[in-house]
Amino acid sequence: MAQPDPTSFLPLPQAQFHVLVALTAGERHGYAIMQAVETSSDGVVRMGPATLYGTLKRLVDQRLAEELARRPAADDDQRRRYYRLTGLGERVCAAEADRLSGLVRQARTNLRPGLA
Amino acid sequence: MGDRHRLYRGLVRLYPSQFRRDYSDDLVQHFADLVTDRGARAAWARTSLDLTITIPRYRLEQLMNQHQSTTALNITVGLICLGGVAMLTLDSQIGIVLLIAGLALGLTQRSALAASLRVPDSSLRRKRLRTAAVLGVTFALSLATFELTVGDSWTITDTLLAIIGTPAMIAAPLFLIAGLLTPRSKDPVRAR
Repeated sequence: MAQPDPTSFLPLPQAQFHVLVALTAGERHGYAIMQAVETSSDGVVRMGPATLYGTLKRLVDQRLAEELARRPAADDDQRRRYYRLTGLGERVCAAEADRLSGLVRQARTNLRPGLA
Repeated sequence: MGDRHRLYRGLVRLYPSQFRRDYSDDLVQHFADLVTDRGARAAWARTSLDLTITIPRYRLEQLMNQHQSTTALNITVGLICLGGVAMLTLDSQIGIVLLIAGLALGLTQRSALAASLRVPDSSLRRKRLRTAAVLGVTFALSLATFELTVGDSWTITDTLLAIIGTPAMIAAPLFLIAGLLTPRSKDPVRAR
């Protein structure tokens, strides 16, 4: 089956991008994703439970992330569901990162020195 | 599980059923983790804002998804036409504009409505025809009562009869047409 073009998903909503970035570090459950998003954004992005799971649902529906059938750690709480990036999710995340870094570059070029 | 978790679990019931089925346990577990890690006050501060934003948002998304958008559009068309009829009864020309707008909207969604009507479903067909019959009787009774009680001045009873009778008058033929256009199921189990 032909894979969709990663750029067709761009621009990603902020919450989706944050969750994808959190999953680039490996398999995580919902609460760990929320913690990772908070850490990576220096506490600026604080996701509530429904925002997080709504975002995960969209990512799973779009096949950018998937739920793991097994738990990575045997001693972990079996009720927790773990998620990981799919191949498509990785490509979309990279494409969004490229898009944003281009935007940042442009902002730095256009703004007066010292502002950016 | 504490009262706080029970209260949160209760609030989770306000989400659309599909989302609830998929994630209610995860949401409650997440809330419990928040309470353990950061205390009840911080957990509630975060989740109350989350609930306030996401409940209406997910409800609206559910309403506007492909399967149900036809229903939402039908209701909108019905309400616009109803408003048009109500304005015309008050001798307001805006009623004509509303009726034209309602008809235009109805025509633009005709293909979507037609597609939904073509799904064979005997039970839905019966339901639509039954609703049409109930609405027809309601309209007939309202009209008969109105004719018997109408006087020189407009009373609250007349207003009530108009409120009941007008929607019934509009909706009855719509349900009748919808019911007649809905094919019977070929599946014997569903057709029973």
